[in-house]
Amino acid sequence: MKSLALLATLVTGALLLYGTADFAAWGDPQSPPNRNISVHYVEQAVKETHVPNIVTAVLGDYRGYDTMFELVVIYSAGMAVMGILRRREDQ
Amino acid sequence: MEDIAAHIMAKYNYWIYVVLMMIGFYAMIGKRNLVKKLLGMNIFQTSIILFFISTGAKKGGSIPILDKYAALQGAVDVNQVVNPLPHVLMLTAIVVGVSVTGVALAVMQRIYRKYGTLEEDEILLKIENE
Repeated sequence: MKSLALLATLVTGALLLYGTADFAAWGDPQSPPNRNISVHYVEQAVKETHVPNIVTAVLGDYRGYDTMFELVVIYSAGMAVMGILRRREDQ
Repeated sequence: MEDIAAHIMAKYNYWIYVVLMMIGFYAMIGKRNLVKKLLGMNIFQTSIILFFISTGAKKGGSIPILDKYAALQGAVDVNQVVNPLPHVLMLTAIVVGVSVTGVALAVMQRIYRKYGTLEEDEILLKIENE
């Protein structure tokens, strides 16, 4: 059982390492994630939102709804924990 | 041979994430204790978060907090600022990860209350004997 798990782990790891051959080199400014949409955010975020911190600008302004509904995730998790851990009178 | 070494050195960050991810993967499928499985899942998650953050790295780039007045004038060199988007998206992933960990720990506590153990095989044995 353990050796089977180890074998599956090694095979998956080898496949993942094989897949990294197509990825961009470490710290390359011209890699695909750094070349496309993020250029717009870095150049225009301050003009559009007047927030100097771009991470804050994206989190609170461009993705404001996402951040707001993240509260729903936290709230649901809290409710689930309360419901799971509650003890009834007869237990 | 020289080429392969240079190739690996240019992408050594991915090797670190793959190793971390496989540690987590092995803990998830190879261990019998439920808490160890959950820790494995957290390690797995951390490796994915690190991977996404690393895609935004730029050599010589500074933090994505700009001088406001210079940026309003348009004086921003994109290659000098690291990519902020992976940071934002992984913030969301961290929040979800914390929620999942919390609920999983609560379920485990409930399991422990009922079966008195967190070892998977012992729980299965107790379920069979019921």
